[in-house]
Amino acid sequence: MELFDNLALGFSVAFSFQNLMYALLGCMLGTLIGVLPGIGPVATIAMLLPITFHLPPVASLIMLAGIYYGASYGGSTTSILVNLPGEAASVVTCLDGYQMARKGRAGAALSISAVGSFFAGTVGTLIIVMFAEPLTRMAQKFGPADYCALMALGLVAAVVLASGSVVKAIAMVFLGLLFGLVGTDVNTGAQRFTFDLPELSDGIDFAPIAMGLFGIAEIVVNLERHLTRTGSIKVGSLWPTREETRRSVPAILRGTMLGAALGVLPGGGPTLGAFSAYTLEKKLSKNPGEFGKGAVEGVAAPEAANNAAAQTSFIPMLTLGIPSNAVMALMVGAMIIQGIQPGPEVMTKKPDLFWGMIASMWIGNAMLVVINLPMIGMWVKLLTVPYRFLAPAILLFCCIGAYSLQNSTFHVIQVACFGVLGYIFSRLGCEGAPFLLGLVLGPQMEEYFRRAMLLSRGDAMVFLERPISLGLLITTALLLVLMALPSIKKARKEAFQEEG
Amino acid sequence: MNRFLSKDFLSGLMFIGFGLVALYFGQKLALGTTVRMGPGYVPRMLALIMMGLGLLICVVALVAGSEPVEKPKWKPITLVTIGVICFALLFERAGLLPALIVLIAIASFAGSEFKLKEVIANMVVLAIVCTLVFKVGLGMNITILRGVW
Repeated sequence: MELFDNLALGFSVAFSFQNLMYALLGCMLGTLIGVLPGIGPVATIAMLLPITFHLPPVASLIMLAGIYYGASYGGSTTSILVNLPGEAASVVTCLDGYQMARKGRAGAALSISAVGSFFAGTVGTLIIVMFAEPLTRMAQKFGPADYCALMALGLVAAVVLASGSVVKAIAMVFLGLLFGLVGTDVNTGAQRFTFDLPELSDGIDFAPIAMGLFGIAEIVVNLERHLTRTGSIKVGSLWPTREETRRSVPAILRGTMLGAALGVLPGGGPTLGAFSAYTLEKKLSKNPGEFGKGAVEGVAAPEAANNAAAQTSFIPMLTLGIPSNAVMALMVGAMIIQGIQPGPEVMTKKPDLFWGMIASMWIGNAMLVVINLPMIGMWVKLLTVPYRFLAPAILLFCCIGAYSLQNSTFHVIQVACFGVLGYIFSRLGCEGAPFLLGLVLGPQMEEYFRRAMLLSRGDAMVFLERPISLGLLITTALLLVLMALPSIKKARKEAFQEEG
Repeated sequence: MNRFLSKDFLSGLMFIGFGLVALYFGQKLALGTTVRMGPGYVPRMLALIMMGLGLLICVVALVAGSEPVEKPKWKPITLVTIGVICFALLFERAGLLPALIVLIAIASFAGSEFKLKEVIANMVVLAIVCTLVFKVGLGMNITILRGVW
């Protein structure tokens, strides 16, 4: 069985002492930052990007994946204990998780969430293993025009799920694409939008943009909100009662399936998974009135769905090189910095990296259960540190991190500039995620577009003549039309209102 | 007047503004032909589409109205930005310690509470942690205080 050979290769890479240590370190650091209120996984990964740059590619991706899981887990912890979600995906966890905490069942909520996430993560990893090969083989048939169309679909689908105005989100994608073009043009060597700054000739570095846009802007918004502390936090027993276990097992199973399915969709991912799972549980429950008052299913299902989706959203990124959400865009950015072009070639040319990363995903999930539950006391202590100490400290680490990228203070200035831009975005209600996706895909998309047009001798019909490209473009158009339908528009508005 | 200070209208203006910037600074880039595109083709195409979308957003915002933009609080964003820029300017010229002191002081002012004792304690702890982690632990080539260490 080739499948088991691949997995064996993956585990042999992931189980090396060095890589295990990086996975552990990633999980710990991710939880450490993710547990700080108001800081979600995207901001966490953005801030921690610099520390992974100097590692070898495999180790750096393993560590980043660890950071991601740690940050999501840390986010659930803050949602349950202090009702402060760090990201949209854990908003649902707040609803019932915090109510459970108020009833003194915080410990049980935390352990159910951890075990559910672990189970979902395991299933998600298995799904990746099964789907990676066939999808990769399919992707190898893609020509430049098909790739261009696929990216268009990925971008539009991601936009549809960004809350707020679709037109604004699409405009943000274009803005991101434009920022992605800064630097030397690969085909002609012309300098574009570099303003004669030698630092910009390789393009705007991805890390300072992410750090400024998500890290700094998020700190500033938190400073404005005057986060107040809730008094004492009691965790209570970590063991769920028999009743709680009985009710959460099926919820975890359903959440896992739903999350895994939704995570594969371009534009899908943890948020969609968590929200749908919560709605599903509420519909299936015999007493839906309990939801919002501390129903254990309301924690178990979304947490499982959240993690399953987080896991399966790696599939389009690893096989096709198309990031489906902001976190995956960050991963693509990190891979490019490591000199790896995400796409179908990764699996065939760098099998150790590909399967090693997948194996370490499972290890990362296991580590979270093992290290985080016993250490919950420590994370709780961290939650009680006032923000006026944390904010300057986080800023400082961001600055040093940005400097360390290339030992240049130019990067620190860039972080400051993109912090301002990120703040403007958040004030104007423009989502950062579509911008980031455009930024990451910009250079590639231009490449493919120009190559496709060159091959077809300047005939734009090539996008409609190739069956794959045509199919993808029709799907894209359908999605856009669907969004414009009044009934869907209304439903979408309501869905996001629940979230906000 | 309120109509013009809505989130959507202003973001539409922002997109148009960025588009104009891209067109202005991209005017020297060769367009090329559709077969052999020059470096200027794709940027100009993107900028024009984005400006079109920006215009659409503006018009819709004026006709249908949109959420008014919240009055920004200038203090946090200004102070945080100044703090980071000061850090960048001081870091190589004077060393980590002065840059750290200035950044922490300015960033602490950005918050709602400022207690001198706490801020000084924060500085001392962070200075020790950063020196240990980045200079000793990770062996980064950082000057702690120019001319001293």
